[in-house]
Amino acid sequence: MIKIERISKSFKDTKVLNDVSFGIEKGDFTAVMGPSGSGKSTLLYSVSGMDKISAGQVIFEGVNISELLEKELSRFRLTKMGFVFQNPQMLKNLTIYDNIILPGLVAKKELPEKIRKRASELMGRMELGGIENRDINEVSGGQLQRASICRAMINNPDILFLDEPTGALNSEATDQVLAILEELNNEGMTIMIVTHDPRVAAKAKRVLYIRDGQIAASKELRKGGDSALELDNWLKEVHS
Amino acid sequence: MKLLLNLVRKDFKRNRVITTALAVFLILSAVFMAGGLRVTGIMLSSLNGLNEVAVPPEYVQMHKGEYDEQPLADFVARQDYLEDALVVRMLDVNNAQIICNGESLEKCLMDNGFVTQNENFDYLLDQNNQIAIVQDGEIGVPVYYAEGLNIKAGDTIVLQNGDYQKEFKVATIIRDSTMNSSLSYSKRFLISANDQNEVALHMGEWEYCFEFLLAEEVAPTVLENAYLAAGLPSNGVAVTAGIFNMINVFSYGLVALVIIVISLLLITMSVLCLSYIIRATLAEENHSIGEMKAIGIPGKEIIKLYQIKYIILVLIAGVIGYLAAIPFGNFFSAMVIRYCGNGSSQWMQWIFPLVGVVLLSIFVVCRCYWIIRKHLKRTVLELIRGEENTKKEGHYRLPSKGLKVGNLLMALGELKCKWKEYFVIFLIFVFSSFLILLPMNMNNTINNPVFLTYMGIGKSDVRIDIQYSNNLTQQNEEVMTYLEKDPEIEQYAVYQNGYVQSQNVDGEWEYVRVQNGENAVFPLEYLDGKAPQAENDMALSYLNAVDLGKKVGDTITVIYQEKERVLNVCGIYQDITYGGKTAKAAIDFDSKDIEGYMIYLDVREGIDIDHKTAEMRTALPNSKITPCNEFVFQTLSSIITNMNQVQGIAVMISLMLTILITVMFLQLMMAKEHSAIAVKKAIGFSTRDVRIQLGIRILVIQFVAIIAGTLLANTLGEVIFAGMLATVGVAKIKLLVEPVWAYLLCPTVQLGVVVMTVIIGTNTVRSYHIRDQIME
Repeated sequence: MIKIERISKSFKDTKVLNDVSFGIEKGDFTAVMGPSGSGKSTLLYSVSGMDKISAGQVIFEGVNISELLEKELSRFRLTKMGFVFQNPQMLKNLTIYDNIILPGLVAKKELPEKIRKRASELMGRMELGGIENRDINEVSGGQLQRASICRAMINNPDILFLDEPTGALNSEATDQVLAILEELNNEGMTIMIVTHDPRVAAKAKRVLYIRDGQIAASKELRKGGDSALELDNWLKEVHS
Repeated sequence: MKLLLNLVRKDFKRNRVITTALAVFLILSAVFMAGGLRVTGIMLSSLNGLNEVAVPPEYVQMHKGEYDEQPLADFVARQDYLEDALVVRMLDVNNAQIICNGESLEKCLMDNGFVTQNENFDYLLDQNNQIAIVQDGEIGVPVYYAEGLNIKAGDTIVLQNGDYQKEFKVATIIRDSTMNSSLSYSKRFLISANDQNEVALHMGEWEYCFEFLLAEEVAPTVLENAYLAAGLPSNGVAVTAGIFNMINVFSYGLVALVIIVISLLLITMSVLCLSYIIRATLAEENHSIGEMKAIGIPGKEIIKLYQIKYIILVLIAGVIGYLAAIPFGNFFSAMVIRYCGNGSSQWMQWIFPLVGVVLLSIFVVCRCYWIIRKHLKRTVLELIRGEENTKKEGHYRLPSKGLKVGNLLMALGELKCKWKEYFVIFLIFVFSSFLILLPMNMNNTINNPVFLTYMGIGKSDVRIDIQYSNNLTQQNEEVMTYLEKDPEIEQYAVYQNGYVQSQNVDGEWEYVRVQNGENAVFPLEYLDGKAPQAENDMALSYLNAVDLGKKVGDTITVIYQEKERVLNVCGIYQDITYGGKTAKAAIDFDSKDIEGYMIYLDVREGIDIDHKTAEMRTALPNSKITPCNEFVFQTLSSIITNMNQVQGIAVMISLMLTILITVMFLQLMMAKEHSAIAVKKAIGFSTRDVRIQLGIRILVIQFVAIIAGTLLANTLGEVIFAGMLATVGVAKIKLLVEPVWAYLLCPTVQLGVVVMTVIIGTNTVRSYHIRDQIME
């Protein structure tokens, strides 16, 4: 689905990503881990087209997104991708519900009624019933992050990008978000997530370990087994 | 201190656009404040200088025709409070008989008299403010004509009556302390005594001005009473030094007043901007301020840290403003200097602006201090939590039918929630619009023939003055016959002017100029009451009503031909002519007491007024015929010229400020909303969408502000303008708006300027990286 071919990203003289290549298939759940400053968030932003790369190319379903015009890229983000930030980012002059449906209304792919119906379904699924009309500063961090996931899902994207979505959440909220992600992936949603939390990465099917802007190691996780333990051992190996 | 300056330098570098914009606001405020005060200083100095050398009379009684010299000499000898007295012999010559550089003055509204240089006082001065001296064959030309007709020394003035012709060479341009202004309808040409006697044999009519200088602290009314009681010649108007001063201050001071009003507007705008910027800056610095407070840095030190930048800005603005006000003030003082000279109290032009700039700086610094101190009153916890940033703005709802015009709906929705943030820019746009429209409307009003209504007469097309004739009645009848026969004249009305005496609030008798005629033909809008209809009705001009202490419904006792008559005050109207003191009543003046006739007329539709005027001038060579728009223009010509310049500058300044405030506001807005912009881009809004939304918000605010500014210019503007004209007899004025300019072109230009600025100013959104903005 996505081919990442030899991408590099530099900030002034510092090379943050260096010649990174990998692929993402439909239904994949890829976690990106690595120490602070290793380039894992930069990789996520580069793959999702949120940030421009210095070299290489990202081919998304046959389209080289690095060559898209700004307007085309916006449309691409709107219809093909969903993105969830570490700190839930929502427009503060819209209610939770309107924040969720906004991308749907902007995309105009479907009738407003259909978008509203889907928003209600998503909110119900994420246990967000009853907070539709609240302002964003009237709900908890966990609720806001789940609402962000609803928003990212509203246009039925091909892939969901998440940048440390549980970084700012307590453990209960983290568990709720993880359960949702796992469920979504089980339903066929492709996910790429950046995290430093092994508990989160353990939900993935594959873990990429980034160090100094390069993929230092990667690990396929078996489903059904004790993936957390398996991941822990692997990380120790990678660290050493 | 070094540390503080370093911090300031870094701050300037970081916020270059905002700091520059703020500096420009402050500099412009200082320039206009200092400039307005410089113009005021120069005007006062010039008038003082002129008066010191020219020594204007404190009381002048005009009189036409012969008089007995002995009683006047006896009267002067008896009054011990008189410092000096003189009789000015003025040879009034019909304008059509005066030819300047080959062109007659027949189109000119002024009454022109030929005088010799006075002795002891009321001197006519040359361009060096020296007492002017002319030889036989030479002439001194009033500066009014030098300016209007571009007459220079060496040019030729010819007086011509039939076969007689007298040629003069212009020797000097005359400054006249009593008749300089275009608001004074008499002008004096200076010639030698020999020439005056020679010309008098062939043309003109003698008019006498009995002029007096009073001992200190003696009121002109004391003299006036004694003069009238003595039964001395007095068939003309009596003018006091107060009226001369009033006319002068109005002529030269109106522009200074307008500039000062503009400067007050600019100061208000600057302070609004400043307050907004300080609050925005402090809100961003809440965390740092909280930390400083937490570690025990005293409040005074923290205030100093944040205030020093603004003190430096104000000091720079003050110095630049003061220096820039020198050419700026000189430009707008050029007219008063030409008319009155450089003056004797030149310190005023340096000290007045200095005081203004210092006061402005103190005000701005105090305002900064007050805002910062108020901000620091928050607790450490409040500051560190940054409660400023989490203020609830409320929300708007997305329409259930989808986002057909998404950008517009989102922009309007956000505006609804954030309107408080836009209040400052709204006010500045309102003032900016006001700044364009007020001078424009003022200019338009004084340029419009309707301004006649403030000169005591209803709107009409042409005015005919019948004066300087040995037989006014006969000449009037000739004009009537002509008008009756001319099918192109739609309607006309004849007014006689004469004088009656009336008692003022102090019980003193004074002369009142009364107009008698058909008031219904060219109806005048009355401030109060209505035009005289019955025989015992009298309408008073506003200043006369104030002076005489009368209101509608009161009675007024007047004396004419030594008989007392009690009249009812039926109405009060506005009039800036004759010192603002006139009246209208059905006084049956004896033909010898009629000072002159004025005829107002309308031509039929489709008839060209200028062409008709030219035709009438040929048919009625002894009458002074002026199109009414020309009458207004000539009376206010000097003011109109300056007002045109002020208007041009006001438009430029306003547009510049509009650009600045838009740029500054966009910067602040984009900085404040960087994460919201990033979110929008992340969920699929294009850069263009974001820019359009930002633009719509500002344009909607500007559109509403233009409406508000227009309403304000039409309401508050009228109050301001009436306040400026109050001293000359206007209590209430209706500003005349040129709709195409005021309601279409100006708003279009303003909106266009903002659209361009938004396009350029939001260009940085293009370079916003979602990641950077989200992570900040």
